[in-house]
Amino acid sequence: MELNAVEGKPIYVQIAEWLEEEILRGHIKEHEKIYSQYQLAEMFNINPATAAKGINILADQGILYKKRGLGMFLSPEAKEKIRDKRKNHTLKKLVEEVVFEAQLLGVTEAELISMIRDAGKEFDEHDEHEGIEGG
Amino acid sequence: MDVISCQGLTKTFGRVRALNNITFTIGQNRITGLIGPNGAGKTTLLKIIAGFLRASSGEVRVFSEDPFNNLKVAANMIFIDDQMRFPQSLTLSEILASAAAFYENWDMELARGLFDYFSLDPEQYHHKLSKGMKSTFNMIIGLAARCPLTIFDEPTTGMDAGVRKDFYRALLRDYLQNPRTIIISSHLLNEIEDILEDIFLLSEGEKRLQTPVSDLKEFAVALRGRREVIDKLTADQEIYYQKSVGKDYSYVVIRRDAAEELLKKAGRDGLEVFPVKADDLCVYLTSRKRGGIDSVFDRN
Repeated sequence: MELNAVEGKPIYVQIAEWLEEEILRGHIKEHEKIYSQYQLAEMFNINPATAAKGINILADQGILYKKRGLGMFLSPEAKEKIRDKRKNHTLKKLVEEVVFEAQLLGVTEAELISMIRDAGKEFDEHDEHEGIEGG
Repeated sequence: MDVISCQGLTKTFGRVRALNNITFTIGQNRITGLIGPNGAGKTTLLKIIAGFLRASSGEVRVFSEDPFNNLKVAANMIFIDDQMRFPQSLTLSEILASAAAFYENWDMELARGLFDYFSLDPEQYHHKLSKGMKSTFNMIIGLAARCPLTIFDEPTTGMDAGVRKDFYRALLRDYLQNPRTIIISSHLLNEIEDILEDIFLLSEGEKRLQTPVSDLKEFAVALRGRREVIDKLTADQEIYYQKSVGKDYSYVVIRRDAAEELLKKAGRDGLEVFPVKADDLCVYLTSRKRGGIDSVFDRN
């Protein structure tokens, strides 16, 4: 993944989100050690302090837990917590934006819902092999 | 532990005040970007830290000592810029050998690796290199010396885009393996932003801001909307930058926390909110046109 410097999101937020996606996709297992700040720094070509800040966001939310001297590990409730958070914040915000845009364009509710259904169908076709574990 | 601390540092050249009453510290093993427009005083500040120039007044401490004419500082510090001169009779490989003799932590393997990667000719002479090749060679010296304090003053002068990218990547990877205190000066933030931990903003000889880079990105936002709406909304705000968009629209840059307050009260109706790139913000903060920079200092 390339980090997006132009978009307004701070790099450490992008790091936290990337880690969340890795967790949601099941690439990191419960109680497994996650990437260190130095690994992330090398992977994304960023300062390790920035990477640490991204990791700490997830630790503060209980998605990761710390073992003294060993690093950060994935807590068993991680997926649930990420799903909750993203649904109630990220997805809600995106929906608000969609509704805002639809109203601006005079798109009816029925039209909008059918557009969402169509988009869903396309994703299903694309994601069949990706194996994202749904909630 | 602080590697550098300056208290009320002032430097004058005749009647010109190059640095005015600068106070700051730089902690160990951090990468700091020294950013400012041309003539801001970046090189003067770095040369004082390096011990090449003496402060006119104020106190400067590097490794807890006065750096001027100081052997301990000289042995633990390297200063890289495009004015570096080497004996004309030495080939590049001979220069590497003598640098190895001087710097305690010198890494010849890294030096040779980078040397080959950038296709430098060991039998070549430094003064015969092109501008970009000189910068590349100097960069190799700066990295391989592994000095506890490493200073790069505008290191990428003359380098092409590919070499610049390689240089910053090499710097980061070597720093990850061998953490040390690094200062890089540049008038452009965007190409070094990602690898920095802190940013030090200098303009007209004064410190404007010293903050973690991650905070800088969240410091300000831009609002765009109809001029009368924007004007009314931001009447009491400190505006870092303002421009007209078309006939009736206005674009302003203000603090993020202030903008959030305003938007809560006024709603987002008809207003668009944009992030401000860190390098743009640096330009706004170091330009003289908009006063009221004090709030930036008051933040710390």
